Amino acid sequence: MSFDTALIVESLPKMLMGIGLTFQLLVLSAVFGLILATLLMLMRISGKWWLSWPAQVYIYVFRGTPILVQIFIVYYGFPQLEVIRESVLWPVFREPFGCAVFALSLNAGAYVSEILRGGVLGVDRGMLEAGEALGLSKTQRFVYLTTPIATRLALPAYGNDIISLLKSTALASTITLMEMTGIARTIVAQTYAPYEIFISLAIVYMVLTFLIQKLVARIERHLGRYTLKEG
Amino acid sequence: MTSLKHLIAAAVTAVALGAPASAETLRVGMECTYAPFNYKTETGELAGYDVDVAKGVADIIGADLEFVCQQWDGMIPALLANKFDLIVASMSITESRLEKIDFSSPYRDSVGRIIGKSGQDMNLFDDAGAPIAANFDGLRIGVERASTYENWFNAKLPDADIVLYDGNEEMYLDLVNGRVDAIITNPMKAHLRFLSQENGSGFEFISPAINEVEYFGVGVGIGLRQGQPELKARLNGAIKQLINDGKLTDYALQYFPFPIHNEDWGDS
Repeated sequence: MSFDTALIVESLPKMLMGIGLTFQLLVLSAVFGLILATLLMLMRISGKWWLSWPAQVYIYVFRGTPILVQIFIVYYGFPQLEVIRESVLWPVFREPFGCAVFALSLNAGAYVSEILRGGVLGVDRGMLEAGEALGLSKTQRFVYLTTPIATRLALPAYGNDIISLLKSTALASTITLMEMTGIARTIVAQTYAPYEIFISLAIVYMVLTFLIQKLVARIERHLGRYTLKEG
Repeated sequence: MTSLKHLIAAAVTAVALGAPASAETLRVGMECTYAPFNYKTETGELAGYDVDVAKGVADIIGADLEFVCQQWDGMIPALLANKFDLIVASMSITESRLEKIDFSSPYRDSVGRIIGKSGQDMNLFDDAGAPIAANFDGLRIGVERASTYENWFNAKLPDADIVLYDGNEEMYLDLVNGRVDAIITNPMKAHLRFLSQENGSGFEFISPAINEVEYFGVGVGIGLRQGQPELKARLNGAIKQLINDGKLTDYALQYFPFPIHNEDWGDS
């Protein structure tokens, strides 16, 4: 088979026109997901069963089902419910963009909450005891000791999840959104050249992943600047 | 002796009725599973628009018919292998098929129509059937990805706000849910799968048939082996007569609330 490089050169700019939408999906879902994850994590470690159990059920449900299914339930399922169609939220769920951000955020929230919990549990007990001995209140210990250390501990895994989320945004193309994958699929349907187009698309995602990796590494270095070993 | 007498009697009757003395038998290939165009009824009878057309044509050219059920992917090879003489199976006339076989003039149109909420006078097309671009402003229109309809929209209404779908069912759902204001698709499919169904009530065709040959192709014709100009001419004459007599319209109205051929193909 021949590899049509001219087609790649021609299609790349078209696909890149979808990069803005890909970024919007990624950033919004990451922010909403992080807020949700923090809440879930706090519920989970609260030590109160009536907060911890719902959080565990939520995490189980959203980690236990494919994101594609979650997107379809939101996109095709919600409009079937009169309650949602009549509600003030309908303008959000009417748009495929709103549905995609909603589903991706809910999913990211479940995964990230476990990452955060891992960070919190990783904080050295002795450190907290030292804080207690110094007379810090429970809240002060959480804000000044647990939070910064847990953040540093959770960051590598969190960066991993952001990369995973970037690739999940491609699923938005199944509900008519013309982000990069949606545009690529349209070009393939017109040109019958899946090989060239999808390989170029894969390279674009790899470049974006590289950039996210670099960004996370930089943040890691910044947060870990006091613990870096000399030399 | 008696059989000879019968033969003579039959021949005389045939001549008296104006049919050719040696009635030819044309074998017609079709899928027999493609409702409502060619399918078997519960009693095992072949029925459908293609079947009606085949019978109508045979009637006019004075041939007997024999139907052969053949799977779609082997249709053209079977015709070429002389398993039957004609394909009347809703086969669209395309360039690539014309390289292998010949086609009669079309008996069914390839068209698209736009569907929207009933009772709105959107005035999307002028009297000549051309789209009025300004009236498409602000309308979100569902179109199947990489379909002839998408090509038509890109050429005729490049500024239209189109949303691309992978299939018709998703498009119907989003039309009902109000995510798109209108959709364009094949009117026959839309009638069978949507407009005649429960969730399609409240929606109707809001455009005339859009059928520019440039985008949608010539239509569906009767396939025959190449090198039979005389048979082809008889088929074409018969199809034209079916159109002029209003027969094609009658056939279509049994299955759809609208004709599925182009009136311009007759002597109107």
